[in-house]
Amino acid sequence: MSKVVEISPTTRHEGHTKLTMQVDDSGVVTRGDWLSLTPVRGIEKLAIGKSMHQAPKISSRVCGICPIAHTLAGTEAMEASIGCIIPDDAYLLRVILQCANRVSSHALHNILSLPDMYIPGTDTHINPFTPEEPVRSVAQRIQKLREVGQTVGEIVGGEPIHPSNPRVGGMYKNISPRAQTKINDLVKEAIPLARDHMDFMISVFKDWDDRPMASVAGGKEVEKTEKFGFHDQGYMASDTLYGSSSLDLDQKWYPERWTEVRPWDWYQGELEVSLEDPDYPIGGTTPVGTKVWPAMEACTGVPLYDGAPIETGPRARLAMFRNYDRKGAMGLQIARQMEYMDCLYGMLDAVEALDTNGKVIADDIPQGDGTLGWAANEAPRGTDIHLTKVLNGKVQWYSLLVPTTWNFPTVSRALEGAPWQLTEVIMRAYDPCVSCATHMMVVDDSKKVVAQKLFQ
Amino acid sequence: MGLLSNLKKIFTGKKPEEPEAAPEPVTVPEPVTVPKARPEAKPAVKPGDVKVEKKPEIHEKEEKPVAEKITIGHVHMSGCTGCLVSLADNYEGLFTLLDNYADLNYCLTLADVRDIPKMDVALVEGSVCINDHHSVEDIKKARRNATIVVALGSCAAYGNITRFARGGQWNQPQHENYVPIGDLINVDIYLPACPPSPESIRNVAVMAYLLLRGTDEQKELAAAYLKPLMDLAQRGTEACGCDLIYDVINQGLCMGCGTCVATCPVRAISMECGKPNIDRDLCIKCGACYAQCPRSFFNFDVMNQFEAIGEVIDAAMGKGDE
Amino acid sequence: MVLGNYKNCVSARAADPAVLSASQDGGIVTQLFAFALEEGIIDGAVVAGPGDEPYKPEPIVATTVAELMEARGTRYTICPNVAMIKEATRSYGLDKVGIVGTPCQIQAVRKAQLYPMGMRSVGDKIALAIGIFCMENFPYQGLETMVEDLCNVKMESAVKMDIGKGKFSVYTSRGAVSQIPLKLTHKFEQPGCHVCLDYVANLADVSTGSVGSPDGWSTVLTRTKKGETIWGKAIEAGYFETKPIEDVKPGLGLLTKLATEKITKNQKTLDERATFGVDKGLRNPYI
Ligand SMILES: Cc1cc2nc3c(=O)[nH]c(=O)nc-3n(C[C@H](O)[C@H](O)[C@H](O)COP(=O)(O)OP(=O)(O)OC[C@H]3O[C@@H](n4cnc5c(N)ncnc54)[C@H](O)[C@@H]3O)c2cc1C
Ligand code: SF4
Ligand code: SF4
Ligand code: SF4
Ligand SMILES: [Fe+2]
Ligand SMILES: [Fe+2]
Repeated sequence: MSKVVEISPTTRHEGHTKLTMQVDDSGVVTRGDWLSLTPVRGIEKLAIGKSMHQAPKISSRVCGICPIAHTLAGTEAMEASIGCIIPDDAYLLRVILQCANRVSSHALHNILSLPDMYIPGTDTHINPFTPEEPVRSVAQRIQKLREVGQTVGEIVGGEPIHPSNPRVGGMYKNISPRAQTKINDLVKEAIPLARDHMDFMISVFKDWDDRPMASVAGGKEVEKTEKFGFHDQGYMASDTLYGSSSLDLDQKWYPERWTEVRPWDWYQGELEVSLEDPDYPIGGTTPVGTKVWPAMEACTGVPLYDGAPIETGPRARLAMFRNYDRKGAMGLQIARQMEYMDCLYGMLDAVEALDTNGKVIADDIPQGDGTLGWAANEAPRGTDIHLTKVLNGKVQWYSLLVPTTWNFPTVSRALEGAPWQLTEVIMRAYDPCVSCATHMMVVDDSKKVVAQKLFQ
Repeated sequence: MGLLSNLKKIFTGKKPEEPEAAPEPVTVPEPVTVPKARPEAKPAVKPGDVKVEKKPEIHEKEEKPVAEKITIGHVHMSGCTGCLVSLADNYEGLFTLLDNYADLNYCLTLADVRDIPKMDVALVEGSVCINDHHSVEDIKKARRNATIVVALGSCAAYGNITRFARGGQWNQPQHENYVPIGDLINVDIYLPACPPSPESIRNVAVMAYLLLRGTDEQKELAAAYLKPLMDLAQRGTEACGCDLIYDVINQGLCMGCGTCVATCPVRAISMECGKPNIDRDLCIKCGACYAQCPRSFFNFDVMNQFEAIGEVIDAAMGKGDE
Repeated sequence: MVLGNYKNCVSARAADPAVLSASQDGGIVTQLFAFALEEGIIDGAVVAGPGDEPYKPEPIVATTVAELMEARGTRYTICPNVAMIKEATRSYGLDKVGIVGTPCQIQAVRKAQLYPMGMRSVGDKIALAIGIFCMENFPYQGLETMVEDLCNVKMESAVKMDIGKGKFSVYTSRGAVSQIPLKLTHKFEQPGCHVCLDYVANLADVSTGSVGSPDGWSTVLTRTKKGETIWGKAIEAGYFETKPIEDVKPGLGLLTKLATEKITKNQKTLDERATFGVDKGLRNPYI
């Protein structure tokens, strides 16, 4: 007989979400909903009427973990709408920023994932904050990698959290030769660390995959199921590293393939919690008898690509561009680790190619005639697409299709077949960033999805 | 050299024959509400480091008795988590803080505690959506459960970009109204900026530790240090680049140092005629420029001891020459 | 007390005549930064570089001695040096930053270190903060009026300006000197200076100014461990000539007198501001 269990709020990720699941007698999920409970600040709406220069600064503040992705996607969407081509050196600076952000974001995510994992060869969960070895050295290495990423973010972006240097039309400032050398040195320092770290993290995730039993940190050990965290959805990525925009000759994201469904068509209706575990760490699950209504509570819409949910993120990038094919929650975790080296070498290439005397701001920055422009940025968690229409320097319309929004319905599917006690492990594999994901619905006056119409 | 031995020097000063040039000594404020007895302030969850598992052996091996530390919680309202990332950007210093001074006993992003426990210090990030009852309950609970509430960052302190919110976005178009936490609860300490720097969060954490666990002298230092941030909390929940106009330039206080220009996280400020010009189409109302301006507050009692206080913080963090 | 905490005080001037050729007084600021740059104590320094208009300085990040030399001499008008301290650590890539500033600017730097809310990764990179004595400053338009209308010198032809012995003096490229009594300049002072309670940059690592020392020499106060160490190394390396402050005229007495005058006057201004209106006052940033 099917029961309803709910983990709320979920932990160790950005933002507020919950997992509402129907499970069978053995506790295996038969239908799962993972949904955002994060209040909708309404960035898309509050940007309307603001200047095109301010809007990307506002969208940066959607998320402090991937602020660079949002700044770049927002800025480039504005540039795509007004038809502004930025100088090459400005682009190179943005590439450096992009890589720096991905390194520090992935490293932060390691801290969030490790507590569910075990020190290989033992049954001890990894508490990343313990002063004990061998964990402390790993944690220090994570912080060192973050420091490299964030420091490069400071140099090139002005600030690593909400970068101030990018602007519509390019960048405010190029960097000095000294700064160029400093970035070079930092990256070279990070490369061997990142390689060791990648190997370590991959061994940890593989170790988890190989275990017959597992628990979330502090939780009860339960038997794992075959195909843990598998799903049959497709992948979406626009590039391995950077992205694409409507100004590109060779566009790599296809707006006409995007549609959206309302949450009440997608999520479960009214339910009553009928299974409860007061020992689920820490503080227990939602009490029996609680009425829940995912379709009403969900704070995001459900974007589809080719009519179905897709996965976006590290594995999608590697699957589409590198033939990577490891499935399941750990397959995604491992893919993320494999991106460290790409980011560091990407940064190195870009910083070496940079001309520190080159101009970084376009001569001509048009004010916009209301044309729709979009930019897709390969954020740490996947394709972050901002779409906008700028008229006379003001934002007329703005939409953000951020990675975690794409992943919500996909994760919901990936929960099926897993013991409910381990579902947070699946969700955490996606490195959810939920404050970002408070989009997103494009509807016309009659409340019909108009995505298609926009792009005709 | 430890905190204690250093502090003696701080308050006696290194050159007693040359007391500071402060016009009048700033009176040391009443500390927020220094908890009377410790036991009742115990967190609901047994403090550990960031407690993500219940493996007892790890705690047993700790050198410092856990009871010495204070408990800090990170309460996430409608913010972007950038303030928390900034705390984490103390890098190794984050571990020093957590090893020696504070247990992070609540932080949804970093640990598994799902309910807001009792805590000494609540670092609240984000403004409150008054249309979302969970948010409203959480902020009230944070106030009830914390001895000291810190508005961490500009969204909590002033609303920041959420000041522009007006709803209308699916799937919760009724989420229209966002208010700084100070509009709903009493806030003890403001730490504005978008985000506040890692160093500033570290300083407040160390000072909170001294305030709650220190000797009388240390308490005095911490209270003096925190006073201007407590005054900021009393000043109000509205901020804008315009504050430089109203409260600095118009008041005849601006001397053109340019600090505000360097501070602004969206490069909205330039200097014209020796005074800041605010591009109000760029300003996101974070309040950092005003807080950082040396003519918003400048407490000579603390500032004149900048070198010694810097050394104390370095010593606390295990850095510096001593 | 009015001179702040300090460890040592001497009268000094740069040993390098090239520095002295266009420095304001003893060339202390330029010479000490040049030394620190050569020794790797700083990677660069924020100084008042040349701007677009004559005698209108712009803060720059100098990373060579040549750039430091370009920035010599006092411009009696606002140069928002603190505006560049963050950028110095960002696109310039500096890890060890020097900065010169008026007392208020040094106060700003210290606040940025102790309360670094919006000053990420700046505080621990401040390697040497040199403060210059300051009685008051003038907005550019005020300075222009003093020079062009009262002294009858075009800004373009001014090569040096100086305040001392009760006079404001402008030296021109043709060797002429034009002077006006200081009291004529008071109305052009920046109002924000009238609440300033610091004359000798009490919070700098090293403070310097002309008052107290003979012409061509500077009075130098070392205040912090950092300042003391760097100054000591520079002396050892022969970068400065020094004389005990007790041996020079007018010496510390004058410095103390002027500092006391400034602080007393401005404290009075602050007191008056408290009751400026009817049951209403103007804001006091110090309480
Ligand atoms: C507004 C003002 C008022 C002053 N009032 C007094 C006074 O009352 N009594 C006194 O003894 N000394 C005063 N000084 C200091 C004095 O004029 C000299 O600047 C000081 O002695 C340093 O001379 P120097 O030869 O060592 O420096 P130099 O080697 O000539 O270098 C001077 C340095 O100061 C910087 N600088 C120049 N103008 C400014 C500015 N406006 N703001 C910030 N930095 C600047 C330059 O970039 C340069 O790096 C004042 C200076 C200023 C700027
Ligand atoms: S920081 Fe304050 S005193 Fe300095 S220029 Fe800005 S407003 Fe004026
Ligand atoms: S001007 Fe800049 S620093 Fe000041 S409130 Fe606005 S955004 Fe913040
Ligand atoms: S008098 Fe004070 S406020 Fe005015 S410029 Fe000099 S140091 Fe700054
Ligand atoms: Fe994010
Ligand atoms: Fe305003």
